[in-house]
Amino acid sequence: MSFLIFFIITVFIAVIQTAIPYLVNRAVVFGVMIPERYLKDETIKKYRKHYSMSVGLLSIIILGSYIGWVLSNERLENQIALTGAIIEFALIFISLSFYLYYHGKTKQLKQQNQWVENLKPMKVTDLTVRKQDEMLPWYVYLLPILSTIGLLIYTMLNYDLLPDQIPTHWGPSGEADAFTEKTPISAMQLSLFLLLMQIMFLAIHAATKKSGIKLSATALESSRNRQLSLRKYSSWLLYIVLLGITMLMSYFQLMTIHPEIGEGSVKILIPFGFLLLVLIGTLIFAIKVGRSDKEMETAVEAQIMDLDEDKYWKGGMFYFNKNDPSIFVEKRFGVGWTINFANPLGYIIVFVPLLIILLISFL
Amino acid sequence: MIIRIEAETDIPIYTQLTNQIIEGIARGEIAAGDSLPSVRGFAADLGVNMHTVNKSYHELEKKGIIKIVPKSGAIISPSEQMSEEKKHQIISELKPVIAEALVTGMNKKEIQGLVSMILEEMKEK
Repeated sequence: MSFLIFFIITVFIAVIQTAIPYLVNRAVVFGVMIPERYLKDETIKKYRKHYSMSVGLLSIIILGSYIGWVLSNERLENQIALTGAIIEFALIFISLSFYLYYHGKTKQLKQQNQWVENLKPMKVTDLTVRKQDEMLPWYVYLLPILSTIGLLIYTMLNYDLLPDQIPTHWGPSGEADAFTEKTPISAMQLSLFLLLMQIMFLAIHAATKKSGIKLSATALESSRNRQLSLRKYSSWLLYIVLLGITMLMSYFQLMTIHPEIGEGSVKILIPFGFLLLVLIGTLIFAIKVGRSDKEMETAVEAQIMDLDEDKYWKGGMFYFNKNDPSIFVEKRFGVGWTINFANPLGYIIVFVPLLIILLISFL
Repeated sequence: MIIRIEAETDIPIYTQLTNQIIEGIARGEIAAGDSLPSVRGFAADLGVNMHTVNKSYHELEKKGIIKIVPKSGAIISPSEQMSEEKKHQIISELKPVIAEALVTGMNKKEIQGLVSMILEEMKEK
């Protein structure tokens, strides 16, 4: 079972990492902004191809060796899990190294060819673009939040039914593997975590909605299409994942109160189903958004380009722009969002809840 | 309505914003009663400081072009009867520009042609 889970996750990581250069924002190549008119440059195409081929090939070799290693001998579950985790990190590390290499090369290419020298930098927006925004409304989050409050009340009403040892952690097969003494606090712990997580997701949703819809002066329609797709589908994905988490954790909580509902194969199927939901959801999201700005042809008019924001992007990955009130901005290498590190609100939304969860877990 | 800002020029961004919004109204792309985006949203979309947008909105309000209503945002005001004072202000702003055009080589006819061309452009939409 562990093998299957790790294998699926690793394949997923490998596929995404390999395809990234073809899924990112059209105007950004390996974290470097390239003016629209030079996007069809042959060297850029070559860099993309080389990156994908290298990462893809190495992934196949690594995954092949993993299968060979597992099949060649009797392996312990935790050995398989540990190696699986190491392999996942290795894959991410490999693709990151290739990214950094091509990031440097692309930067050099842009400088040598003086691609931004004679173009007038523009910023552009549409006054009506916010009316086209199709993100989910915030109040859909009330559904999971109310359900968790209900779960909390239900747990306390059935306090006597709870076992003396409250499970606090579950393994990949849905089996509880860590426990704590029963107290009113430990009985509520899981539901409170869930509630905190739901509030955090809601805050992320609200912050995303407030963040800028960035349009391109040279590719107005494709950038609009991409930004609106990113906002719409990421809000769906966030919500679906939260519903999944809510169901999974509620199921664990109910299983603690009524052990009989955890009998048989449900125990494995529910966490596994959750994993598949997250992976498939993310994949569809990445493809949908990744394709959203590739289909429309754009004619480049006049000697203009989008404002070169490379200086705000450290390594093409970390965004620091204190003039931009956005809390989240679109990632440069990947599909999704990253935080504006110059805006303290972002830290509060992302790191404070994580810190609270970690603190409670370790205290 | 599309707003285009030149990022590296001597004209401050808030002035460019103000001018483009006024032109947008003149062309009929936005009309009286329409609301402008919130300061925060507008600034985030353009990736500029909120003060920049705020400054432009206050300038527009001072000119009597928009009304800033707490909570509902900035709403474009209907055009009213022009006051004498306003008329004087426009004349005093236009005069040096026309003078400059004459001094730097445009003749009367060319200036008239230019003005009617700009007026045509505003009527288009």
